[in-house]
Amino acid sequence: MRFRLWMYFFRQALTSILNNRVFHAIGLSTMVVSLLIFGTFLILFVNLNAWLGGWGQSLTMSVYLKDGTSETKNDEIASLIRKLQGAEIKRFISKEGALRDLRKALGSHAGLLEGMSVNPLPASFEVIFKDGDGQKTDPLKMKNELESIEGVDEVQYSEEWLKRFKGLMNMVRLVGFIIGGLLCMGILFIVTNTIKLTIYSRRGEIEILKLVGATDWFVKAPFLLEGVIQGILSGIVALLALFAGYLLLSAKKMHFLGLAVLDFVFLPNEYVFSILFISVALGLIGSFIAVGRFFDV
Amino acid sequence: MIQLFHVFKNFGSNVALRDVDLRIREGEFVFITGPSGAGKTTLLRLIFGAERPVSGHILIDGINLNRISRTKLDLLRRKIGFVFQDFKLLPRKTLFENVALALEVTGERRSFIRKKTHQALRLVGLAEKQTAYPLQISGGEQQRVAIARAIVKDPLILLADEPTGNLDPELTKDIMVLFRSVYMKGTTVVVATHSRDLLEDTEQRTILLNRGRITG
Repeated sequence: MRFRLWMYFFRQALTSILNNRVFHAIGLSTMVVSLLIFGTFLILFVNLNAWLGGWGQSLTMSVYLKDGTSETKNDEIASLIRKLQGAEIKRFISKEGALRDLRKALGSHAGLLEGMSVNPLPASFEVIFKDGDGQKTDPLKMKNELESIEGVDEVQYSEEWLKRFKGLMNMVRLVGFIIGGLLCMGILFIVTNTIKLTIYSRRGEIEILKLVGATDWFVKAPFLLEGVIQGILSGIVALLALFAGYLLLSAKKMHFLGLAVLDFVFLPNEYVFSILFISVALGLIGSFIAVGRFFDV
Repeated sequence: MIQLFHVFKNFGSNVALRDVDLRIREGEFVFITGPSGAGKTTLLRLIFGAERPVSGHILIDGINLNRISRTKLDLLRRKIGFVFQDFKLLPRKTLFENVALALEVTGERRSFIRKKTHQALRLVGLAEKQTAYPLQISGGEQQRVAIARAIVKDPLILLADEPTGNLDPELTKDIMVLFRSVYMKGTTVVVATHSRDLLEDTEQRTILLNRGRITG
């Protein structure tokens, strides 16, 4: 009997959606737009976090060499670097290599370099320090040790910049919570009003249902289902639109600060299910509020 | 089946019923009559549980309506058929759907609902028009659909509020034949009417209401 009743509620909910398709279309599209904004924000957050995580996993230093160091000297410097705790030379960038990289990064503006008679870029080692045995590398100490090696001109590392970036990410997270909260409230408002309108359009039927012995639950259930269906549909449409947008963007190579080519990833499964869950939950809560308010009157 | 003890009901300063005591036995056919504003509709609505008395008690099939929960009242209403003066049919549903509504709320099987609805429509002579909409049929036919909806669930009690108010004498006779056939099956029937014609030649008990009091 329960299954039969649920089938009846489902049929009633679908019929009501079709009969009030204009209200539902407006409600659905507004919900989709809200979820899209939220989803876009989530994608940005996830990607920024991933990029940050990738860089933060190990400490990278650029060890710039003085001009005119010989190959033997370079080998000597390399072996001294390797002796430092956790240090690993990722690659050696020669003066020519550095110029080549710069040309590549400048792309169509590479012509700017044509007029130069001397290559001003220094050769460098890219060194990664991996934290070993629970000991975290002290970047300042390493910087000093590297700079004390003869033939090393300057050492630069990204720690300070990463710290600032993490601060920015915390700010992004806070803004995300605020935007997410506001959008959720907006969605609740939309669902509540959409369902209220459909209840209002069916008030005659509700009165008769009550007069022939329908329980409150029997009358309310189809409206609650309407909210859930609206939540499911808007969640799915928003996710499909997000995925389409992601496919479009990921087809293009993304450069960050004109240097690194970044991998652009879609939302992880748990985020996808979270968006779907949130939209369904908001649909249900919104219709619950609408149904409660309407029947109290 | 229906018992009222010292029932009092008012709407603001307007007193609808005063100290009404009434007993209607199971399987009885009763007319409630009186002029307009006498309290006939209020009395039926109280019996149906659509209104609550200010004081006094109403017992339906032994259940005190003052002490019943909302859900139990909904379930009790499934045992009571009500024919409304204004029919209360849904214009966007077919005659079949209008009648079937009374059974759908009980969660019965679809095949059972179909069978019972066909029977009820056949009984009121509208089986041929089951796919029509209320606005496509006459007032008399709409009244018969309302009766079909009230009797489709085989109620213990059938309440009818001015069921022949807008009908000509011929159709009135048809409707009364329908009520009698329901009564013959053992249903308690209570008909509120102000029509004197309806009460002529009747052997049924008639309760006279005047200004909210039972006067005869």
